Amino acid sequence: MHALLVLTLANIRSFLRDRAALFWTIAFPLIFIFLFGSIFSGGGSEPRDLGWVDEDGSARAATVREAFDATEDVVLTTGTRDDVLAKMREGDVDAVVVVPSGFGAAVDTATAGQGGPPARIEVYTDPSQSQQTGATFQLVGAVLGQLNLQMTGRGPAIVPQPQTIQTQDLTFISYLVPSILGMALMQLGVFSAIPLVADREKLILKRLNATPLRRWQLVGSNVVMRLLIAIVQTGIIVAAGAVFFDVQMSGNLLALAALVVLGSMSFIALGYVIASFAKTEEAANGMTSVVQFPLMFLSGTFFPIAAMPDVLKSVALVLPLTYLSDALRQVMVDGTPFAPLWVCFAVLIGFLVVCFGIAARFFRWQ
Amino acid sequence: MTTSPVPSVRARHGSEAERVIDVRELHKAYGQTRAVDGITFAIDRGEVFGLLGPNGAGKTTTVEILEGLRSPDAGAATVLGIDVARHPDALKERIGVSLQTAALYPKLTVTEILDLFRSFYRQSRPTAELVELLDLGEKRSTRTQELSGGQRQRLAVALSLVNDPELVFLDEPTTGMDPAARRSLWDIVRGLKGEGRSVLLTTHYMEEAEVLCDRIAIMDHGRILETGTVDELVSRRFRERAIQFDIVAGLDEAQLAAMPGVTSVKAEDHQVLLYTNDVPATIGALLDATESIGAEAENLAVRRATLEDVFLDLTGRALRD
Repeated sequence: MHALLVLTLANIRSFLRDRAALFWTIAFPLIFIFLFGSIFSGGGSEPRDLGWVDEDGSARAATVREAFDATEDVVLTTGTRDDVLAKMREGDVDAVVVVPSGFGAAVDTATAGQGGPPARIEVYTDPSQSQQTGATFQLVGAVLGQLNLQMTGRGPAIVPQPQTIQTQDLTFISYLVPSILGMALMQLGVFSAIPLVADREKLILKRLNATPLRRWQLVGSNVVMRLLIAIVQTGIIVAAGAVFFDVQMSGNLLALAALVVLGSMSFIALGYVIASFAKTEEAANGMTSVVQFPLMFLSGTFFPIAAMPDVLKSVALVLPLTYLSDALRQVMVDGTPFAPLWVCFAVLIGFLVVCFGIAARFFRWQ
Repeated sequence: MTTSPVPSVRARHGSEAERVIDVRELHKAYGQTRAVDGITFAIDRGEVFGLLGPNGAGKTTTVEILEGLRSPDAGAATVLGIDVARHPDALKERIGVSLQTAALYPKLTVTEILDLFRSFYRQSRPTAELVELLDLGEKRSTRTQELSGGQRQRLAVALSLVNDPELVFLDEPTTGMDPAARRSLWDIVRGLKGEGRSVLLTTHYMEEAEVLCDRIAIMDHGRILETGTVDELVSRRFRERAIQFDIVAGLDEAQLAAMPGVTSVKAEDHQVLLYTNDVPATIGALLDATESIGAEAENLAVRRATLEDVFLDLTGRALRD
């Protein structure tokens, strides 16, 4: 037991002193989360930039302007119609509100005794930005509705009560966080091949074989070290998702722990399979790349498998990372299952057994 | 370099020699290559025994079988009374091993790697003592990837001593060392002997074998050609002295062999070796012969026969090739 402990500690030291290993296991997954997270979760509550054109100049127009100014998160850019529309084309403002000349008079007519047709305000939006267009009309509608009430002095007869129903079960970022964890565990395991082959090439494994150290202690210390790193990775990734992107863990911690351990061990076993066939460190580097990139991109890491073309879908069906990431999504953020949880566990256990068998048969110590 | 006595090493058995290694008819082949081809030898407790031979002679394979790293195809090998093929794990607890290539975790420091190896054994020497013994004090916190070749080799020897072994295997321990580092390692090996440990070392340096080894086995092509002390090996073959000089054009081998006192003639690289029972007579004849053809025997030297001569005589090749 003592040797196992000291060797595990030595492995951890070697790992922490290896900058490349640290980058791939800690920084790389975080970069993915921040990169994709900030690209795809934008447009929430930032201020709206509206162009403001007043061609009327009346007191009524000024009242409308005040109402917009008083609205939270709205920034107005004032100018002539041509100027402000040019700014919108350049993307400096999201939409443009124009108060046409004659607006004040039209409002006066409309609010007089017998009433008249409503005064009009022009709103320019970009139809290619449908989400933004909707938000703009909602905003303008709310401001004008308030004004209408003030001017007519009557309470509203009917108001909408906002309710939401999500048609997609996950936001992109809450889909991404478990995926990145799955990817990180996969890389942690697959990359275990490289130091292993390096140790064999440098005859370190042979030297260890000349001591009473048992092989199970050697393998055990490697697995224990990687499991510890996997736990640290899980903590960091879950925390980054929760703190920066508000992705809350909704599932069972025990199930998550079981998945992290099982997933790590399956891919560590795959790392040993690679180490069984790679003769040199360079070969191991090449083989890990060949293995990890298809796993990374074809296992539904960045977008749901359901959205993939049929050919890729059938590829995803046979990749073990598909099942690890899917299970992680189910357990962490209540994602829609691609496969039932028990199937995911069964696939990972089966994969572990197969890899273990191949490595046991073909791995060479010297 | 100081060596402190180590209490746990057993007292030597006086005149009653105890064998620490006993090898009989050992065979090991890799495909068509017979790396070890039926060798037999034994080492007594407290002895420094050398396997001397060129690269590829089968020294390393022999040693690795005795270390429990390879299994022999045929034959018996007993080390410290343990059958190496049957109980390699029991054996590994009691022997010290330094491989031909120092295999070290690159990112661990000297003391970290010593502590690591100590944890593998039931009994071990204190790290500080090993650092002191191998003169690694200044480098104790240095990562092994930053050590020089000689320092790495010293650390490899230190690692072979962590379990306070009765028997130490040193495979080419001075390869890649400069002469000063080599001499300091020789001191360490003498120290091991002084502590009552037995040492099996392999080398292709004749001088190293002559300086360090109580007995030597000369190996070539997987076979042991001869075994004995340096004196035995030399005198068994050569009562003669060797006269050596640069090859002289115009003097053929038959002429040289016919000179008085000459027992044999060898050509090695660009030099001629005349083995003779009568140095003055042979030199006289040689000078007469060179003078008569208007030549001169350059770099002329007379010396005792050495292991080098023995090896050349046994194999027809120079050891350093």
